[in-house]
Amino acid sequence: MDRIFKIGVFDEEEKFLSSIKSLQEQNFLIYDVFTPYPIHEVFHLLKRKSRLPTAAYFFGLFGIISTLAFLYYTSVLNWPVVYGGKPFNSFPSFIVVTIILTILTVTIASLALFSYRSKLFPGRENTIFDPRATDDKFVIVVETGAMDITSIEKAGKLMNELGAVEIIEKEFGKVNA
Amino acid sequence: MYNKKIRGPLVEGNKTLGQITKEVMKPLEISPGVWWPIAFGISSAAAIYGFYAIYITVTQGIGTWGVNNSVGWGWEIINFVWWIGIGHAGTAFSIFLLILRQKWRTSINRSAEAMTVFAVISAALLPALHMGRVWLVFYIFPYPNTRGPLWVNFNSPLFWDFTAITAYLLISASFWYLGMLPDLATIRDKTTSKVKKAVYGFFSLGWTGSSRHWIRYESLSFILGGIAAVLVVSVHSIVSTDFAVSVEAGWHSTLFPPFFVVGAIFSGFAMVMTLMVLIRKLYHLTDYITDNHMDAIARILVFISLIMGTAYLTELFVAWYSGNEYEIFTFFRNRATGEYTLQFWGMIICNALIPQLFWFKKVRRNWIWLLIVSLFINIGMWLERFNIVVTSLNKDYLPSNWVSYSPTHIDIGVFLGTIGMFACGVLLFMRYIPMMAISELKSVVHIGNKKED
Repeated sequence: MDRIFKIGVFDEEEKFLSSIKSLQEQNFLIYDVFTPYPIHEVFHLLKRKSRLPTAAYFFGLFGIISTLAFLYYTSVLNWPVVYGGKPFNSFPSFIVVTIILTILTVTIASLALFSYRSKLFPGRENTIFDPRATDDKFVIVVETGAMDITSIEKAGKLMNELGAVEIIEKEFGKVNA
Repeated sequence: MYNKKIRGPLVEGNKTLGQITKEVMKPLEISPGVWWPIAFGISSAAAIYGFYAIYITVTQGIGTWGVNNSVGWGWEIINFVWWIGIGHAGTAFSIFLLILRQKWRTSINRSAEAMTVFAVISAALLPALHMGRVWLVFYIFPYPNTRGPLWVNFNSPLFWDFTAITAYLLISASFWYLGMLPDLATIRDKTTSKVKKAVYGFFSLGWTGSSRHWIRYESLSFILGGIAAVLVVSVHSIVSTDFAVSVEAGWHSTLFPPFFVVGAIFSGFAMVMTLMVLIRKLYHLTDYITDNHMDAIARILVFISLIMGTAYLTELFVAWYSGNEYEIFTFFRNRATGEYTLQFWGMIICNALIPQLFWFKKVRRNWIWLLIVSLFINIGMWLERFNIVVTSLNKDYLPSNWVSYSPTHIDIGVFLGTIGMFACGVLLFMRYIPMMAISELKSVVHIGNKKED
């Protein structure tokens, strides 16, 4: 079944933000909002949180432990060689490589996780509700699936009153997001 | 916090969001003028000459270079350190200034990061060539092999260096690309050409600008920024240990890591300034890269120049104070008064004295002066690396080993080639990728422009 969305397009950040608040107060289900740049208030209003930092911490831990384990294995267990009279496990000089490989692990793993969670990868085509959102418009998309006709109208009217420059209704067979 | 009364608006001319998109995208849509093909032609010619020099090096060996038994490291290592230094600008700009919440970085960081990627590629080429048998370059990867398995020496600065530069290249390239995603999506949605829509659409990875995308994007930028900030300091410290760990007069010094890091940021910022002065003139982007931006870079440069001057004096002082005759010989006889006097005093003048002109506001606000001084710094930093590499090696402990060093045309060809490749990269970047982070500009455009701020 096609999903129908009520889309409000705004010119100004303030009007856009107050619209989100009003829609939420009246219990409309905001599917998502689209902006040309990140707005922190939006994250608060829509209660968006990212657990990437936690994941990155564990990637770092994994990086440190695996690098040190690898260095210990190669230099002490697998093929010990004396370099300049230093002990096989010359821990202080392993630190440099450990730091760098930890940073590399965190970077690559976080990027991969970001790409997976946000569904962003080469050639991916996510649904674009309004192409002007990457230019100069702020876009609110309201999910109308569970609403009757009067409340759909009401959502549109509300956004109009709060300064939307355009109200659009769009149908999508399949939504990629 | 940002004080607009003192520092002025970040973007001049009260732009609307739509205007920003349009003006930053303009260089991608219109033909850039006759200078672009000319510049690209010259750069390609230099790059082709470089490929020829590399071909000779690979087929005939590094005997075609000016290096000899005493001066085993010549122009290639000088240029390697020089390029890596320039490559520090991107991370210094985008990452240090991101973490310090310095919003003026927004109009410059994209180009600085692009420059970093191309400079690091140029740099990485040189030590690989210096291995002689470049086709065995994979020996440096620690992989289970049939030679033992014989692992690489994890205690060696040369291996640290390899790790650091590989990681640096990968990380700065990913940071650059991540920052580009929203802008590639903007082009995808704005362009009328079908080919561009498909290409930029493919590379924008399906970015929509939804709140879910943005929060993860911000969070990832800070993770990468925070963790890569270590790299700004670590990469050149590690490069310096290539020198500092060996027992050569003039190299064996604990001053080297901080000295190299500061020097790297110095040359990187100078190269950013050189390019920015040209870009803002050629593309008429003075509203975005304002005089205040150039002023801020100039202030950083004058500050770093003082640190450089102090470091040079410290080196001389410590050489004298140590009482070590080899140190004293290297610094006072071989560098300051010997065969390479010109390089030594050139370095002092270009790095420690000429940038002092930036104390004057008139100099900081005049683009010709900015260009001239930044070029002098680029030259001075090259001379510094020449001093470090050559004058420690050409006259060491045993006078029977003393030789002179001069490059051959193959050395010069490889250097010109790297400059050509770098320039080609920057020119292509200017033509096909938005030079400034459009989305970031939009988020700072109001700063200093509205009445209530």
